[in-house]
Amino acid sequence: MKTPLLPLRAVITGIQRETEDVRTYSLSLEDSLYSAKPGQFNMVGYPGIGEAPISLSSIVSKGRFQHTIRAVGRVTKFIERFKEGDDLYLRGPYGSCWPLEDATGKDILLVAGGVGVAPLRPVVQEILRRRDSFEKVTLIYGSRSPDNMLFLSEIDMYRKDIEVFLTVDEVPPHMKWDYDVGLVTQLLDKAMLNPIKTFAFICGPEIMMLFISRGLFMRGFLPSRVYVSLERRMKCGIAQCGHCQHGSKFVCKDGPVFLYRDVSRLPDGLL
Amino acid sequence: MTGENVFRSSNLLIKKDSFFKFIDALRSEHRVFGPVKERNYVAFREISSSTDLFMEYQTTMLSPGKMFIYKPREDILKFRMEAPVSIEEITPTIEKQVIVGIHPCDINAILYLDRTFLGVFPDPFYKARRESTILIGLNCMQVSGNCFCSSVGAGPFLKAQAGYDMILTDFGEDYLVEIKSSKASELFTIKGKEAGPDEWRVKSEKEETVLKSFKKVIDIDGLDDLFMKNLDHPVWTTTADEKCLSCSNCVMVCPTCFCYDIVDETSMDLKGVRRIRQLDACQDLRFAEVHAGNFRLRRASRLRQFVIHNLNYTNQYGVIKTVGCGRCITWCPTKIDLTEMAKEIQGSPIR
Repeated sequence: MKTPLLPLRAVITGIQRETEDVRTYSLSLEDSLYSAKPGQFNMVGYPGIGEAPISLSSIVSKGRFQHTIRAVGRVTKFIERFKEGDDLYLRGPYGSCWPLEDATGKDILLVAGGVGVAPLRPVVQEILRRRDSFEKVTLIYGSRSPDNMLFLSEIDMYRKDIEVFLTVDEVPPHMKWDYDVGLVTQLLDKAMLNPIKTFAFICGPEIMMLFISRGLFMRGFLPSRVYVSLERRMKCGIAQCGHCQHGSKFVCKDGPVFLYRDVSRLPDGLL
Repeated sequence: MTGENVFRSSNLLIKKDSFFKFIDALRSEHRVFGPVKERNYVAFREISSSTDLFMEYQTTMLSPGKMFIYKPREDILKFRMEAPVSIEEITPTIEKQVIVGIHPCDINAILYLDRTFLGVFPDPFYKARRESTILIGLNCMQVSGNCFCSSVGAGPFLKAQAGYDMILTDFGEDYLVEIKSSKASELFTIKGKEAGPDEWRVKSEKEETVLKSFKKVIDIDGLDDLFMKNLDHPVWTTTADEKCLSCSNCVMVCPTCFCYDIVDETSMDLKGVRRIRQLDACQDLRFAEVHAGNFRLRRASRLRQFVIHNLNYTNQYGVIKTVGCGRCITWCPTKIDLTEMAKEIQGSPIR
């Protein structure tokens, strides 16, 4: 019996610089049977450095997928130095996924804040792959400033298939920005949503997910259709190490994607 | 019922001498661990003879489950830092072992750890040791001041019917030996008087007597709901500010606290890495820290996590986490008592 903590070698086949400290790594696993659903994550790392939970930022095709990583911690700063052709060591996929099957035939609202857009990107990719399976799809994406926005040129191309609303907290002088300025919550009315038939998938800072969820409920969204993705410290990804415990839940196994109502008002969370 | 579970259930009165001879005989093929009296304390140790055993002990600092089945620290992987890195899996060493004289609280604690380590992702190290360990329990007659197992259904007499091998009850000259697994049924070939109605009556009388000696009692009924309504109760902050040192003693001695950290150790020549799993504690400042912040930055929230996880969150595994062994109370340097905190909330809830 193998330990479930055994990592697999993944080759970096490409690196895309997204912002100052965010890179998208294209990875290839020898195991072409590897599959993951949008919203799931891998424990990504390197021997001697450690591992960190990172959501997949793309759908998986023949053992190939992407991780979009912001270099902020020990593991992610180490990975930032990697070049094409280098190896990463990862294991997964772990956790729950965005309920795309349930949302089939319905409207979908995606709300992303900052790097929270990365775990929602495979959702968009999956929707575009079978666009006819869903009704109106809307992406609302906010970030601190224009140079913090990820996937901007790619998101521009989404516009022919889904509605896109972008906003930033502030625009530094002399920076070009053609979209909104202000909080993502302000865009909820602009988006002309149909509350009764829309599934909402939200990913971003917890305080933003709190206000978006509240805003959606005030507009008549059903508590059974508002989902959030949580971030917690994790060491194992397999509901053993205990770091991600949130109330009685293991975010790694029961989440990271939860119905908002299942994780609101728990101790030590903001939701 | 699978073949594994079919065994001749027997309940025998066995002379203590004969029982200890059985233990000594087990030593030929097993490492045997049990309660051993040191100068002024009792601890689970490997024994070289059954005469080392001190079966009349009250409690130990560490529970046998977190010494001999779930190890406090162990290597889980090795890496050779070549190009490409080669990963060496570590095969769990299987050593047949016996733990004798475990009190019901600590057997229940092992059954609880099973839920973490034999669940959806079974841990091969835990599993190998669990399966090669014979658990011989001992119904508890020695209630200490901090014991509250009777309040949470984990003792003083064992109610669980499976998941261990034998359970003993002290009958003076004899042990009442109840066989609870096929493994035990095969190994235990000593003949004795079959227990009848008289023995069961004596056993329940003994249990009644022990039950009367508990000094610490807590009513856990409705605690789940009460805690959730009292997350801002002053008891969390006052206890944390006035007493808690965040030393993590409570977690380290807790027989059901399962949290671990994974750390990588690089060899001096930089050519090898050992990936090690070791106990971690929610009382540690960085336990719930992520880049954007720390979910339990306040000492009060870390203390609350320990208390609520132990007395609430029964829906995590369907059972309450605490087994009422009282170790976290005994070994707290400032004598924080989770049952007292719960009672304070029960006595003056804010909602």
